[in-house]
Amino acid sequence: MITFKDVSKTYESGTHALHHVSLQIEKGEFVFIVGPSGAGKSTLIKMLLREETPTKGTVLVNGYNLNTMKRREIPAFRRTVGVVFQDFRLIPTMTVYENVAFALQVTGVSSKYIRRRVPYILDLLGLAKKARSYPPEISGGEQQRVALARALVNNPALIVADEPTGNVDPELSYEIVDLLNEINKCGTTIVMVTHEHGLVTQFDHRIIGIEKGRVILDKGGRPR
Amino acid sequence: MNASSLKYLIGEGARNIHANRQMSVASIGVLVACMLLIGAAVLFSLNADAVMGYIESQNDVVVFVEDDASEAEAEGLGAELESIANVASVQYISKAEALENQMEKLGDSAYLMDALLDDNPLPATYYVKVRDLEQLDATVSQIEDLDLVLSVNSPTDVASTLVGIKKAVNVGGIGIVSILAMVSVIIVSNTIKVTIFNRRREISIMKYVGATDAFIRLPFLVEGVIIGLCSALLAFGLLWVGYYYLLEWMGSATSSWLQLAYQNLIQFESIALWMLGGFAAAGVAFGIVGSLFFVGRYLKV
Repeated sequence: MITFKDVSKTYESGTHALHHVSLQIEKGEFVFIVGPSGAGKSTLIKMLLREETPTKGTVLVNGYNLNTMKRREIPAFRRTVGVVFQDFRLIPTMTVYENVAFALQVTGVSSKYIRRRVPYILDLLGLAKKARSYPPEISGGEQQRVALARALVNNPALIVADEPTGNVDPELSYEIVDLLNEINKCGTTIVMVTHEHGLVTQFDHRIIGIEKGRVILDKGGRPR
Repeated sequence: MNASSLKYLIGEGARNIHANRQMSVASIGVLVACMLLIGAAVLFSLNADAVMGYIESQNDVVVFVEDDASEAEAEGLGAELESIANVASVQYISKAEALENQMEKLGDSAYLMDALLDDNPLPATYYVKVRDLEQLDATVSQIEDLDLVLSVNSPTDVASTLVGIKKAVNVGGIGIVSILAMVSVIIVSNTIKVTIFNRRREISIMKYVGATDAFIRLPFLVEGVIIGLCSALLAFGLLWVGYYYLLEWMGSATSSWLQLAYQNLIQFESIALWMLGGFAAAGVAFGIVGSLFFVGRYLKV
């Protein structure tokens, strides 16, 4: 599902963000990526989303080779990945419904399908009553669930969550990860970046530790 | 991109105007202000030109015909004058008419002229209008070279002053309009830049969700074109109404100078189509350039 082969990244500023990182994540896995800030987690995520390309090495995601991918192929690739960010990244001028529908709209599916699919997903995440609200009107936990709904609506094989619990109340953090856990049970691969150790230990998932741009830990999880 | 996507994107563009109404109103305000300024400058210089043209046309070259020329010969001179390239029109006043005019001017004292009725000393006269005042000197010497011409009175000094003023009005008008146009381009570009900068996050979010560049651009394009067209219509309407009231005020003014100018002002209708077309083209062009150029900056996610 995800393959990093000897990936190094040096930014134009001279920062060495990643050093010879090799990773293999299989379909259906749930992986926590942990590490202090500045360790290279964000660079790893950016590479997964083809926001950055490696200076050296190869990145394969969902059957796409991100090194050789052309710019115009990026949108099609991104539709196979659901993304959740720490700061939610919802469009403030669109309602909850529209934010989720937008992710479907870009794929060019029929509006009939959208009208069926969006309420279903919103209902699944307990957001049915918030469909007409605008993001600034709802709580952080709810906003993150909207972001999750948007990530899910395309039925992606992979969900990448970058510190999804960073901006929500601690008591809601568990709820968010538990939601991801439920999604994972249905077969979706989850890669979640976090620095909340307490949260990671509550789940029995694979943990990849990164420090100073290198993988220093890779343990646990279901046997592959 | 299929039909349902297209419909959605056009709807999005229209919806975005409302969703970002503060910026929409600001953009329309800036565009309308720029268009009004340019439109007013264009109107002013066109009118200045028209008034100058009128004043110019008031300057006749007066050609006196030699006294011993017969009536037929004098009339033949008219054809010769008309054949000169720079001569626009020729008006003939015979000896008798000249005397009549003179007597009319004198009114009650006309009897003073009675003695002259038998031996009219006034020469037959041609009033010649020229096309181009700048070539007046050359035309006058051409006229002087003709047979039967007694003498020529030409407003040479006035002509050179008028030519100077007209040039200044022309150059000044073009100068003001182009400076305003340049300033407008800068101001409007900045407005578009700020508008799109405010929404760069929205653009990057769309990219993360897998939207193609065209999918993101189209609503901006629709939005820009709608805003441009609205501004064009608004500016056009305001200018028309403003001009109408200005004309009305000048028409009722008592100052003879204003009256004179008023009679020579151009009618708004005569340039309305050009004005509207120009405004609309500028508005649409800004919408297109803005969405292609400034949105493009934030598409590289």
